[in-house]
Amino acid sequence: MDNTLKNLESNLETLAPRGLSDRGRENCHQLIDQLVEDYKSSTRNSNQGSWKGTAAAAAVALGIGISGGWFLGMDRASSLLVEDDKSGGAKDVLVFEHLDHESWILAEESPNVYVTKSGEIREISREVEVTEEVVQHRESGLVVTIETTDHHVVDAPKSDF
Amino acid sequence: MDPGEAWREWLEESAPRLLAYARARCNDAQEAEDLLQDALIKLWGYQEERECRPPDLPLAFSVMRYLGLDRGRRKGRREKRDQKIIQFQSGEDHWLDPTLEDTEEAELLRKEVEELPDKLREALTLKIWGGLTFAEIGSVLKISHNTAASRYRYALEQLQKKLKHLQNIKNG
Repeated sequence: MDNTLKNLESNLETLAPRGLSDRGRENCHQLIDQLVEDYKSSTRNSNQGSWKGTAAAAAVALGIGISGGWFLGMDRASSLLVEDDKSGGAKDVLVFEHLDHESWILAEESPNVYVTKSGEIREISREVEVTEEVVQHRESGLVVTIETTDHHVVDAPKSDF
Repeated sequence: MDPGEAWREWLEESAPRLLAYARARCNDAQEAEDLLQDALIKLWGYQEERECRPPDLPLAFSVMRYLGLDRGRRKGRREKRDQKIIQFQSGEDHWLDPTLEDTEEAELLRKEVEELPDKLREALTLKIWGGLTFAEIGSVLKISHNTAASRYRYALEQLQKKLKHLQNIKNG
């Protein structure tokens, strides 16, 4: 770069860019304060809300435990106890009190009859079962309803016509 | 340091540079300050993952550029161009501080910088008042550092040519 361009560069550097107006500065400071405040309150809320996170995770774990136990043909009332015996998820489950349990068939399709290779006559159908479990978080009193939907394939010998 | 305090300090130091760049993309000082505020919100969002530290300058310029482009698209090129003509004709709304221009040459220089083509003015602004390297300018403008350097040099040459021409006219 020749000297004239360098001189020009130096001259340009002396032209300081205009700063924020007083109003603009004030607005920016208010904005920063607001952003900091929002950030702090969201951090506070996430800390306070940690038990809710635990409760939600426990509810999911409980739901899986209950539906899993039910699906395997285990006694539903004892599913909580099964969870209680385990370490890890057990603490989460113990913080809940079991209030109610109900299950019903939501949909059932007409069975299809078929004959196996060995000549046996069987019928197959599908059904959708809904299980609703109501539990209460002991510490907060928060009541959680866990609804699980199970799709079953019922395959059984056809005995009557 | 409290994040609010750190950001205020950062703003005090960086605002003139960022505003100079914003002014190269906006129609008036008010719009440039609005753009800076939009950028602050965006930058804060990015920096929350970095312990709310004030951002690096190249990132700030990138965000300003992105927001400026977005604004420009929304407003429409025609409207922007028309307003810019009015702005230059009014001669009152400058983005380089006129109080620091005590010589006639400085006054000429300021006017000529404002009339440079957008791409050249952008490279010049980022280099002279943004204090960025050509590599950083390249990353902000999404061009190679060689192109950034070329635009900068071409901007200087154009300015020099115009100033020489004006001086010749003045001297008869």
